[in-house]
Amino acid sequence: MSNAMLSYDDVVRTLDDLPSLPAVVMELLNSIDQDDVDISVLAKKVSHDQALTAKTLRLANSSLYGLQVKVTTIQQAITYLGFQTTRNLITAAAVTGCFAEGHCPGFDHKAFWRHSIATAACAKVLARQMRFNQDYAFTAGLLHDIGRLVLVSCFPEQYAQAIAHRAEHDCYLLQAERAVLGVDHVDAGLALAEHWNFSDTMRLAIGGHHDPEAPGAGFLAAIIHVADAVVHALDLARVQDDLVPPVSTVAWTALGLDEQIYLQLFRETELQYEEISMVLLA
Amino acid sequence: MGGNYHQLSLAEVRPGMVLSDVLLDVQGNVLLPQGTVLTDAMLALMPRHGIAILPIVRDEVTPEAAAATLQHHQARLAQLFRKNDPDSGSDWATATLRRFVTDFRLGAEETPEHE
Repeated sequence: MSNAMLSYDDVVRTLDDLPSLPAVVMELLNSIDQDDVDISVLAKKVSHDQALTAKTLRLANSSLYGLQVKVTTIQQAITYLGFQTTRNLITAAAVTGCFAEGHCPGFDHKAFWRHSIATAACAKVLARQMRFNQDYAFTAGLLHDIGRLVLVSCFPEQYAQAIAHRAEHDCYLLQAERAVLGVDHVDAGLALAEHWNFSDTMRLAIGGHHDPEAPGAGFLAAIIHVADAVVHALDLARVQDDLVPPVSTVAWTALGLDEQIYLQLFRETELQYEEISMVLLA
Repeated sequence: MGGNYHQLSLAEVRPGMVLSDVLLDVQGNVLLPQGTVLTDAMLALMPRHGIAILPIVRDEVTPEAAAATLQHHQARLAQLFRKNDPDSGSDWATATLRRFVTDFRLGAEETPEHE
């Protein structure tokens, strides 16, 4: 039994074995804070990847963005949706296809993405309510638990034990990860964010989504934290023994929304989730 | 179809609901015939055709079926929130979320959900 506890450095050392994102997606992620990116060059590069282009365009044409025309090229998507939004759609399309399924008994790959996509949809609607950047919220929602995929891919046997531990004690998976592995998906997510050069905004959201009260966690962490809980409560991942995590009173108060807004949020989240998952999980 | 239909906004329409009337777009072209069982894919296309309200057949819900649905939702919510103590003062945000989702599942909706 390889039951030794892992450390953050153990996780970092395995990251090179992970599948890499398409070069152009790395380039997009790394250039997230630059304003002088040559858009036409990037659009051309993305267009060389046909599967990626097709998924991106289907997302762009979904009712999520309510376009009156149907976009048929990446360049067109940029014209109608803007560079930021298109960049996020490309990232979403690339990341959801990046990790291989299998290897870890008990880990439901599809359910993982159902939860992540639903959180992305919910975070986007929440961001609109809060007048926060919707593209950041969508991508952060999609990637908030990405550390789980890192752990599942790099340490499948240990992760299977964590899943078994969770079932046995009916605790939160986060607690089971810490008890069995010694590191949790937040640590692993931060390591990957570093490795893939995510922006600081994204790093803070991934690092703070279970602890939005921590100093410096940022507002996006509060949005993702609440979106995560809402999606568990709406049962969108359809996991039999799912658990709603405790909602931070600080994050809940920071959003300060009333019941009418939440009911509308639930409705919109369910609708958008259906549509996005049809594209990304096809 | 008698008068047994209601106009629902797109946000309220769920897959599995049935059109009580032919559905026309703004130009008057037939989009979907009467009696169509709506799917996610169809609903996703509605905004592009400028459709915001749809005529939907009213479900004949027997009291037994309604009670069963209610019970199903209540049981599921109790399971999902099994770590939350609604009376705990410190965990009030989770309790509030629970109350909102309960209202969403049990209060607002009069027809049983289609799985």
